[in-house]
Amino acid sequence: MNTRHIWLIAKKELSGLYNEKTIILAIALQLFIAMFSSFLIVGLTTMYDPSALSRFSGISYGIGYAGADSPLPGYLEKEGNFRVYRMDLSDAVAALRERKLAGVLYVPHTPPAGEDPVVVTLYLVQNDLQSSMIGSRLKDAFSAYEGDLRDLRNTCLTVTPIDLLFPAERSGGDFFEFIYGLLIPLLLFLPVVISAALIIDFITEEYQLATLETLLSSPVSFPDVILGKVGAAVILVPLQAGAWLLLLAANGVTIAGPIEVLFLVSLIAVVLICLSALIALHYRERTNAQTVFSVGLVIVLLAVLAIPQNPVNMVVRIATATAGPEQWPVLGLLILGSIAMLALVRTYAAYVGIKAPLKEG
Amino acid sequence: MGSIAAILAISRWEVKRVLSQTTRSVLPLAIVLIIALVIVSGFAAQSGVHLQDGIYRLGVNDPAIASLFASDSRFNVYLTDTATLRTYQNSYNVIIIDKKVSAAKTDRGTAALKALERGYQRYIGTLYSSENDLFAAYPLWIDQQYVQSELNFQATEGGQYLGVRPMTTNPYPDGPVEKVSEPVSSLPLPPDDLRQELVRASTKDDPLSRYTDVLKPPAEMGNVRVPSQLTPSLPFDSIIAVFIFIFPLYFISQFFMMSIMGERLDRRGEPLLTTPLHPYQILVGKALPYFAGMCIASLSIALAIGGSPLLLIPLLPVMLFFLATALIIAMLARSFKELSFISIFFSTVITSYLFLPTIFAHVHIVSLISPLTLVVFQLQGEGFTLTDYFYSTALFFITSGVLFFVAVVNFKEERLFGQGKFLTRLMEFVEDSISREQPYLSLLLMNALLIPFVFMAQMMLLVIFFNLPMPYSLVLLICTAALIEEVAKSVGIYALLSRPGALVSFKALGVAAVVTALGFLAGEKLFLFAMLSQVTQSVFGSVLFLSLQVLWIPFLLHLTGVLIVVLMLRYGGRRAYGPAILLATLVHSAYNLIILAGVM
Repeated sequence: MNTRHIWLIAKKELSGLYNEKTIILAIALQLFIAMFSSFLIVGLTTMYDPSALSRFSGISYGIGYAGADSPLPGYLEKEGNFRVYRMDLSDAVAALRERKLAGVLYVPHTPPAGEDPVVVTLYLVQNDLQSSMIGSRLKDAFSAYEGDLRDLRNTCLTVTPIDLLFPAERSGGDFFEFIYGLLIPLLLFLPVVISAALIIDFITEEYQLATLETLLSSPVSFPDVILGKVGAAVILVPLQAGAWLLLLAANGVTIAGPIEVLFLVSLIAVVLICLSALIALHYRERTNAQTVFSVGLVIVLLAVLAIPQNPVNMVVRIATATAGPEQWPVLGLLILGSIAMLALVRTYAAYVGIKAPLKEG
Repeated sequence: MGSIAAILAISRWEVKRVLSQTTRSVLPLAIVLIIALVIVSGFAAQSGVHLQDGIYRLGVNDPAIASLFASDSRFNVYLTDTATLRTYQNSYNVIIIDKKVSAAKTDRGTAALKALERGYQRYIGTLYSSENDLFAAYPLWIDQQYVQSELNFQATEGGQYLGVRPMTTNPYPDGPVEKVSEPVSSLPLPPDDLRQELVRASTKDDPLSRYTDVLKPPAEMGNVRVPSQLTPSLPFDSIIAVFIFIFPLYFISQFFMMSIMGERLDRRGEPLLTTPLHPYQILVGKALPYFAGMCIASLSIALAIGGSPLLLIPLLPVMLFFLATALIIAMLARSFKELSFISIFFSTVITSYLFLPTIFAHVHIVSLISPLTLVVFQLQGEGFTLTDYFYSTALFFITSGVLFFVAVVNFKEERLFGQGKFLTRLMEFVEDSISREQPYLSLLLMNALLIPFVFMAQMMLLVIFFNLPMPYSLVLLICTAALIEEVAKSVGIYALLSRPGALVSFKALGVAAVVTALGFLAGEKLFLFAMLSQVTQSVFGSVLFLSLQVLWIPFLLHLTGVLIVVLMLRYGGRRAYGPAILLATLVHSAYNLIILAGVM
């Protein structure tokens, strides 16, 4: 093994990427996904928690109310989100259709302490952002009324639940799980998957474009060529993932232990890239290699995610600063795994050598 | 007839080639992989997804409460005494001391609190749904009725929710009042069935089942809910439709891409080119097996999840579009790396174009620009009209047709085996699509046909900027829309300028500019007239499609843009392209802003 040769090959691959300018597309891709996710976050915040945007805080919505008396108007007006108008049902629905109201409630004359359910009818405008926005506010009022009714009828109930006292509702936190539990792992592992697909191109290209012989006429050995390519693919991962973390930080999303997270992601990248290098070396032809790799990726991903304390979960835990001592065995195993995979790739490369692609005779 | 026979012959040949190649080398491993996939998905289904395990720390001093949350893997539950909890309360996200919950005042604390509250609701739910007297445990039911409002688009556009202003007196409708009969106070199902529905609803809270539910027919409960179920439908649900239907299409299109790329390696496709077959026969023939594969895949997925075969109809244009883009990318790429990057890039863009609007499947009319919304509707048993279909698929049909045409024109030796830079090659492709005998007519047609691409790009922008605060989104939209239009208009002329002897005289330049502006305008007008009336009613629509009011003003605007670019290119050469486009965009945006200020 000659580290200088490996580095040379890695540099060649990287400058090849740079010259083709396709790396710009890769960056554009990532930016695009960033826009995409910011759209999701901003859009959903407005949808589910309108007060998250300051301009909604002062607005109260009009609700038409018809039918029997109930405590509902009181609950609705308590938070200042709604203003309730007592109206005739037909008028109210017509006003709703003209958007002079945000919703209409009809409460039936069912006795509150009776045996029959109280079925309240709620009229909303279809296909409307506002309808989904007021939904969560309405829910609070309904839940309060439900509690009242339960108290009235509790003689018929047999079990009493453990009573937990929750603090008053506060805003925020809606996207914590989405950002840390889904978006961040997605963004960090996107470069890993891209690089793993890239190594297949690096390797099969040499076979299929018949450039291998030229390369091997230099004093670089074949296993070193492959390791160099692996190196180039691996280097791209922490670079891209790091850029993601910076971009997220610029958007106000910071993670705990960024260095450790990047290290862990890079180790996972080594294992996955080696796996796909083995596939590429086996087929030495792009279509088959990419097919097997994509199916294999799904299998590996499913299997890994199904194991408790898997490396991806560990990345999430480190990013949220909830990782305890359980992270060290995972880290140790990953280090051992990457070394073993690199050795395997080297051995297999030496064994396969420059045989012709495994296809058409 | 002969041409169909030729196409089928090519198809047969393609199938044979693929089969012989894969059976020999991939089949043994494929069997192993499939067995592994079955085992792994069984394991995953049993073990669940462990992605968000332990992201919250919960401190409790009561074992009974601790056991309530033990099943939620997101919580690391620590059971200790009160004193320890109080001393180290900062190292927990939520603590429960003597049934009193308190959470750190951080984003994570709030998130943990909300997760805890939902878990608690679930616990209450399971407890109450086993009560004998169901209507004592669940006394309140809400029947949601939806009314149609014609003001739909205008009133809710772009993050402005000004529709309803509270008034001091009762609001009274201006229009005629239809008699609404008082609803009957009854539930759609007998109590035992309701109980089952409640149990079903309370046990299926894990994130996976929430997604898979999208694929099931709507629940029998109709619109009746108990208060705790009253949440707006989560918009991410439609992503499952994307994964289930779009991913196989993408996958199959990759094989087609590689097959075309394969013809270009070692000049392997040369014998094919020497046959008397027309390129379109070769390409259709080669694409046909993959198209059939896509249909079979989609159909089996539709049947597997219990959907109707009609799901195939909205997917049809998506399939064609994937095949057409795969074809163009395979003909353009110089290396495998380039092939990978370009195809990943475009598939992401297309997927988001398909996915983003479906978020609003039940909320907003914008969602209709994606055929996937129709898939979601069909899955939920709502169906769609012919107008809906036309509205959401026309862009896909037209763009696929145009891309296919460009591919056919360029399917020849010097293009397939050339090795220029990517953008140079792209320009060569465009240049070849412009006829030599009738360059101006070509230019006219080309600019008209570019409109669907421009609209696709602008629709993307509309969706992305949709939820930004109002003035920014509007200004951003104006500038980027203008940029896209100016770039689109410049493509034809830029390509033609590289043709020796073309556009030398000023007269020729002038004619080319006029023709370009005319074609663009005609395409825009036709297109709007045909399908986008819904969107154009909104303020956003009037920004994108501003130039509709009077004909000659937009014509002059388009002409000015083209002339700026043409003249700067003529005198400044290729280097002047960037500044030229910027200047044209500036003029274009300024015009749009002025007009818009007048409109509003």
